[in-house]
Amino acid sequence: MRPEQERLSDAVLRRSSRRGFLEWAGAAVIALAGGRAVANGLLQDDAEAAYTNFCGHTYTTGNCPHPTGLPRVDRHDYPLRASDGHPVDDLGRPIDSQGYPVNAQGQVLRDANGEPLAPAPRSKVCPAAGRAHGLELRTDGSWYRCCGGRVRRLMDCCGYTNVRVNGDEALVGYCYAGRHVFCVQYYETMVPC
Amino acid sequence: MLGGLAAAAAITALIAGIAGAWSPCGFSMVDTIGGALGNARRGATLVACATFALGTLAGGALTFGSLALLGSLAGHGVAGLREGLGAALALAAAIADWRGVRIAPQIRRQVPERWRWTLPLPLACALYGVLLGLGFTTFVLAFAVWALAGISFAAGDPLLGVLVGLAFGAGRALPVLWMAPGLREDGSGARRLEEMAREPRLWLGLRRLDALGLGLCALALAGVSAGAQPLAPATDPSAAAGALAWQQPGGSGLLSQGGSAPLALPGSHPALGGANVAWATPAQVVVADRATLQPKLALAVAGVSALAVSDGWVVYRDDDAQGERLIAVSLADPAQRRYLAGSRLAGQVSRPALDSSSVVFALDTPRRSELVLVDLATGRRRVLRQARRDAAYFNPSLLGGQVLFERVTRCVQQLRIAGLGRRGGRVLLSLPSTVARDPGYQRGYTHAYNSASGCRNRRPGRGGSTLLGATALSASGAYVTKLGPGPGDAAIVSVAR
Repeated sequence: MRPEQERLSDAVLRRSSRRGFLEWAGAAVIALAGGRAVANGLLQDDAEAAYTNFCGHTYTTGNCPHPTGLPRVDRHDYPLRASDGHPVDDLGRPIDSQGYPVNAQGQVLRDANGEPLAPAPRSKVCPAAGRAHGLELRTDGSWYRCCGGRVRRLMDCCGYTNVRVNGDEALVGYCYAGRHVFCVQYYETMVPC
Repeated sequence: MLGGLAAAAAITALIAGIAGAWSPCGFSMVDTIGGALGNARRGATLVACATFALGTLAGGALTFGSLALLGSLAGHGVAGLREGLGAALALAAAIADWRGVRIAPQIRRQVPERWRWTLPLPLACALYGVLLGLGFTTFVLAFAVWALAGISFAAGDPLLGVLVGLAFGAGRALPVLWMAPGLREDGSGARRLEEMAREPRLWLGLRRLDALGLGLCALALAGVSAGAQPLAPATDPSAAAGALAWQQPGGSGLLSQGGSAPLALPGSHPALGGANVAWATPAQVVVADRATLQPKLALAVAGVSALAVSDGWVVYRDDDAQGERLIAVSLADPAQRRYLAGSRLAGQVSRPALDSSSVVFALDTPRRSELVLVDLATGRRRVLRQARRDAAYFNPSLLGGQVLFERVTRCVQQLRIAGLGRRGGRVLLSLPSTVARDPGYQRGYTHAYNSASGCRNRRPGRGGSTLLGATALSASGAYVTKLGPGPGDAAIVSVAR
């Protein structure tokens, strides 16, 4: 997608909700495509679209700050390592169920005396992004897309702010009650697609 | 060590700044500020003096502070190398200034003369001050200026850089403040200016003073460089008055006093404090006289995994199936034991550090990370630092009202030192985080908006291979354990404080 197109699409979203826009776009596509789309009965998943940063994320809002980079979270909004879904603490260290850092084999890491390395805080990604920017943020609505053979839930981290993590104007996205999207994250379901 | 370096560098910078008065710009400034408006507007002359001085201070702080900041960003990848190069540079400049060698490379430029005519005098003088304070925009009158730039970079401490810059700026301003106000009024300034112009030997004398200062800087930096040689394999340092004790991974404790060869202690987890040394055996904690190693006290405690000692207290951490506990025992009354902290799981209570009757330790859980200070005399407990997200505090040490600790985030591991009542703290050592990080985007997708997921100090990938471990603090420096990927890859390095 070219920058001009991105800006245009952002502008459209600023004037309406993303759901409304997608519904409108979907309806337009179906109308234009006529019988074929209707025959399929579904709006094609736009897996080939030019997503931003990671599969499934449309438009330009940036990632929520995440310990290891890509903003993958578990169902409770705690951070996971994107490559394999391993839980990580706020320092980005892979951890076990009790919060202790572990190595690639899942064994607790130890210091030179054999003592376990100390745990570190593990916090929910969206609220933590808010606290880091002086905002109260929460995950509102979501959208699901097929990515890499599994259904992925795209989650907007929303708050009462007109500025997003990128530093420019925030969009409505999937946010409710006047909130806007501050940053985005995703949850990988186990559902094949 | 950095305190001595800072003092020597600041005095050298002040003198180097004063020596700059013998430059074409130095003379021009006195005449511009003191002579342009004459007696009729003495007030304007004084204002111009003030703005000039502010400009020199700002310029100096900018140049040397920036160089020190660059030095701090350059990291400590090669222990002692940077300090060694800085010492060599200072020594070479000292010899050159002592012998009065012609300055090279010379910057044959002057401040813009037209500002004197086109700008209000206070503004022009402020800008002149900035240019002269910057140091390298006009003639350089001592090798010390070049050497101080190198020293600021080598020290890698922005505070030291700013201090040197302010001293240099003050040195550049002082001759002007001394001569300009009296240049027209009573002629005293004119006489001083004339004497200065006729007496270059004074300038050469100042360069010799600079040479002495640079020699002191070289000594201080060489000391840091020599002390930066790592001690390996070693972990869990403990320091007190010229002595250092440490633990050999999988072995006993070692003690080195006054730079002597290490002496094996009859136990592990050694700790130093006041006149005492303590170690742990499988069934006891032993407190002994540091000079003679004669035991003073033996406590029946099993499973000790960490120790701290002072003249009045010993604090130990013991582990068993129920978890770990941190216990303080009064040496005067060993029956008096105080529970300080504990955890059902091992690894959440850090190794303690004692200074007199104050003990500091870290408590780290998945919910929060905090540094705790307990006054054993009063029982008062104080949280020095706390993080509930994004950061963790590890491995504190304590001495003379200053706490040394590690602050670790997803991007960086920092060794910091701060006063007990202060926030933040000065960074002594900074290493990239050891965790693997992805680039914040999936390959094949647009990735223009992922800055929030990046780390400015490191690239995506596996991360650093060195993990910061246990620390110790002494009057002359800080010690930190660097842990490598293997169990035996543990080394203690000293860092200038």
